[in-house]
Amino acid sequence: MAKHGGGCIPPMDLFRSEAMHLVQLIVPIESAHLTVSYLGDIGLIQFKDLNAEKSPFQRTYASQIKRCGEMTRKLRFFNDQMSKAGITRSSKSVARADMHLEDLEAKLGELEAELIEVNANNEKLQHGYSELTEYKLVLQKAGEFFKDAQISASARQKEISPDLPAESLATPLLKDHESSHDLSKQVRLGFVTGLVPKEKAMAFERIIFRATRGNVLLRQVALEEAVVDPTSGQKVQKNIFVVFFSGERLKSKIVKISEAFAVNRYPFTEDMGKQTQMITEVSGRLSELKMTIEAGLQHRGTLLRRIGEQYEQWNQVVHKEKSIYHILNMLSIDVTKKCLVAEGWSPKYATKKIQNALQQAAIDSSSQVGTIFRVLHTKKLPPTYFRTNKFTESFQAIVDAYGVAKYQEANPGVFTVVTFPFLFAVMFGDWGHGICLLLATLYIISKEKKFSGQKLGDIMEMAFGGRYVILLMSIFSIYTGLIYNEFFSVPFALFGPSAYACRDASCSDSTTVGLVKVRDTYPFGVDPSWHGTRSELPFLNSLKMKMSILLGVAQMNLGIMLSFFNALYFRNFLNIWFQFIPQMIFLNGLFGYLSLLIVAKWYTGSKADLYHIMIYMFLSPTDDLGENQLFENQKTVQLVLLLLSLIAVPWMLLPKPYILKARHKTRHQDESYALLDDNDDSLHGEADRDSDDQEFEFSEVFVHQLIHTIEFVLGAVSNTASYLRLWALSLAHSELSAVFYEKVLLLAWGYNNVIILIVGIIVFIFATAGVLLVMETLSAFLHALRLHWVEFQNKFYEGDGYKFRPFSFALLNNEDESS
Amino acid sequence: MGFMLTTLIFIVIGMIACLCTRICCNKGPSANLFHLTLVTTATVCCWMMWAIVYLAQMNPLIVPILSEGE
Repeated sequence: MAKHGGGCIPPMDLFRSEAMHLVQLIVPIESAHLTVSYLGDIGLIQFKDLNAEKSPFQRTYASQIKRCGEMTRKLRFFNDQMSKAGITRSSKSVARADMHLEDLEAKLGELEAELIEVNANNEKLQHGYSELTEYKLVLQKAGEFFKDAQISASARQKEISPDLPAESLATPLLKDHESSHDLSKQVRLGFVTGLVPKEKAMAFERIIFRATRGNVLLRQVALEEAVVDPTSGQKVQKNIFVVFFSGERLKSKIVKISEAFAVNRYPFTEDMGKQTQMITEVSGRLSELKMTIEAGLQHRGTLLRRIGEQYEQWNQVVHKEKSIYHILNMLSIDVTKKCLVAEGWSPKYATKKIQNALQQAAIDSSSQVGTIFRVLHTKKLPPTYFRTNKFTESFQAIVDAYGVAKYQEANPGVFTVVTFPFLFAVMFGDWGHGICLLLATLYIISKEKKFSGQKLGDIMEMAFGGRYVILLMSIFSIYTGLIYNEFFSVPFALFGPSAYACRDASCSDSTTVGLVKVRDTYPFGVDPSWHGTRSELPFLNSLKMKMSILLGVAQMNLGIMLSFFNALYFRNFLNIWFQFIPQMIFLNGLFGYLSLLIVAKWYTGSKADLYHIMIYMFLSPTDDLGENQLFENQKTVQLVLLLLSLIAVPWMLLPKPYILKARHKTRHQDESYALLDDNDDSLHGEADRDSDDQEFEFSEVFVHQLIHTIEFVLGAVSNTASYLRLWALSLAHSELSAVFYEKVLLLAWGYNNVIILIVGIIVFIFATAGVLLVMETLSAFLHALRLHWVEFQNKFYEGDGYKFRPFSFALLNNEDESS
Repeated sequence: MGFMLTTLIFIVIGMIACLCTRICCNKGPSANLFHLTLVTTATVCCWMMWAIVYLAQMNPLIVPILSEGE
């Protein structure tokens, strides 16, 4: 990198990136943590990773990072629990005194254990509760089975043998045809009661039937509401069933099948008295359990609320500590284990601040030795740092999106602040739409404080981030709208009367030959008489195309001038003589001349055909110009310009590679030995030499220069033509606007019907907002962006630097919020 | 109003704008130069646009021809 001094202009904010230097800090171990913490508060050093070869587990502070990771996990667990319980954490936590990491760790550990225990207890209680609920339901429903069966059987019994006592109806269901038999021949029946999920009920019944060969009786009743299943904790539709069987083998089969179907079985007594007793007992236990569960939930709620109050603060502390340890891991530890060495980039203006912080840290950690602060000299490329405020930040982001500026090269952002909204406005020009945009963006800016704290959706986030860009865009749009004289495509005579009037009083030939210019030119903008005429488009097209060319040539010249300032700043005089000058000659000889012709034609009102002039300047330059003559000696001027442009091409191409080759030869002419490394580089002795100092491939340099020349020469034509998009988009905008106005609003007005008028107005508003205000804005934004990134910046911008990312707690917080 | 006169008006407005920005946000020489650049660029852009449209209408080669039924 060649040495650089000041350019011929005094220093300007944001024009070149901040001067950076590589600093080395030697920090005693006891003050390391505090030093890094204070440096993080300032946020102006980008630390270099001096332990890059080591794996994360070999580093000095790996265990601390693991502890921080554990704490983050615990905090995440708390967050989950809080969101499940529906407790929101307060964003502004109670500010307690600074916590130490060990205390915080212990506290988090105990809270986690407590929370886990409470949760486990809660689960167990819930399990018991749902089981009891199911049992109660079984008791009720199965009791009904037996009662019904008893009533019907006793009814039958009364029919058949009315003098038999009612108490002998132990198993009433099978008494129908066996009533004649002896009581001793009664078969003992067993039964199983329980609940089966509704979906499995049919399969259950079928399998039991098949397995027992139909020797059982199954009764089912569906429950109306779903019960909470004890094992899964979900609400399931269940059926209550009773299975009657005889014999032990059937019982074991039925039990096994129930287990396979995950059926919950509950014991049941036939005795009526005992049944009611069981029901009251179960109800009692249920209400007790409910109270216990509620108490448990309340306890958990208070616990979580306490956590919620301090959550944010703890979160921040843990993040901060984790980042500090990450940085500490990047420092290399000295052999004597008494101090750490840090290297990093920092802006030169911040030196005093950093030194103060280091002193403060040394005092606060009561260490005997202070930190040593040293500036290293290196040939490596420093990072690029622009000090932007909230206004210039979005414009700089637009430039950085294409490529971050190389260290200290001219920043196109300075001009982009004005030219980007301006070119947008040239394509958008309508002061009615501009006012709508302005109102919208003023609203967003007025709510700035509120929006910056909130989390917005993606689209809103982009609109909010670019609020100042849109503000300038809308202001310029109002200006260009006044110049194009379009208010929702309607012209107004705001600046005086129109310059055109009919030729005679009857206006008879206004539709054939047209109006005539009777007064001075309309003082500001396009004359209102043009709108709606037949010759409007030919006039406006010619005007806008020529305007695009003029604006384009102006911006490209600005780009080449910036490359001149770059060359001056970096003392690269080769670039000035053999790149800047031929480029200026070529571009201005051809397209600057075209611009001159345009202005001359307008000024003199001549009927010369500019296409013809330009084309025949190349095809037959020595021909007579005839009626295309705009000024004296035009032919000579054109010949000279043509010659100069032709010379400029080899001037750009040939000398530079040969001169570079000659320079390289003189520099390394007497070298028969290798140079010693006497640079005061970093402790690790990285031999990072300027590689292009040693190697020089002539073919590579020549091809590079050839590509550069071809790109410029061809680009001169294509880039100039590219600026015609300014014309194209502005035409599209005004045509769309005119269509919506005439074909929607005026049409609706013509019907003299209120409803149609209202519908027409609504359609007009939606069409304007959707197509013109949203789609056209995005479209013009995109094209203005392209004009800047390609046509403007490829004249001077290298854009291969890297951004300055300092270690700063404020930046970390922003990253956390956005992730 | 004349081309030169309005150009003069633009220059005057530009200078007034520079003075205003110097008065309300005076933050050191490099920041002042930056603001000056912005104001100058804006004035030049606006003037160029006006001048182009004005020049194009000074000696017109075509005139408005009204469409039928107007």
